[in-house]
Amino acid sequence: MANDPMSLTFAALADPTRRSVLVRLAEGEATVNELAEPFDISLQAVSRHLKVLEAAGLISRGRDAQFRPCHLEPAPLEAVTDWIAMNRKVWTERFDQLDEHLKRISHDNLGERKQ
Amino acid sequence: MSDAPTELGELTITRIFDAPPDVVFACMTTPEHLAQFWGPIGTTTPLDRITVEPRLGGRFETVMVIDATGDEIPVNGVFIEFDPPRTYSFTEAGTEGGVVTKITFNDLGDGRTETVTLQTNVPPMLMSPEAQAGLETMFVKLDDHLASL
Repeated sequence: MANDPMSLTFAALADPTRRSVLVRLAEGEATVNELAEPFDISLQAVSRHLKVLEAAGLISRGRDAQFRPCHLEPAPLEAVTDWIAMNRKVWTERFDQLDEHLKRISHDNLGERKQ
Repeated sequence: MSDAPTELGELTITRIFDAPPDVVFACMTTPEHLAQFWGPIGTTTPLDRITVEPRLGGRFETVMVIDATGDEIPVNGVFIEFDPPRTYSFTEAGTEGGVVTKITFNDLGDGRTETVTLQTNVPPMLMSPEAQAGLETMFVKLDDHLASL
């Protein structure tokens, strides 16, 4: 998978544990211990997931050496949804223009038939 | 125009055109036609920058030029399905997730055509129902969170 920001976001979102972590962080910041609590996995495994989320820019971590609380960083998620919204706009305008184009060629054909 | 409910990470656009499927299909796959409408508002798609190889595995390439800046937006697609005038699909290998666009041309039987454009723009692993449900939950909560900031 390429290393552009959107790939990192998609890759990070592909894992259900990481999505659950983000859902939890949407409610407010949390420490690794707090984040690990609902999961039947080791703290080390949670830390690995957090590293992926951090690399994707989806979370940031505090400087407190002992707890390093995690914060949600929603900007990359917005980039993903913006991308979808932009594509919808492109296709909508494209089809509006196709509609006009079809009207034009239909008139041209009628013109030819009359001649 | 009507839009079907769209899953997160997918784009569906349904349109009805006042022309039969063979005409609409030809417009969507012929450079001379595409140059007239492919680029959205504020862009131009020069005829000499359009390549269509109308067959399975053929290239489907366009360059949209932004009128105001001259910036170019290339679309480098490859047909993975080509079945005129019923449907075609193309992938964009250079775009993350290998965006797949499938357009189906439904004959309404009265000289009109309904096109359904389905664009899936996320890797397949994200498209499973449980992944969709997970994303859905996350985005709902995220919306709430953003609203509370």
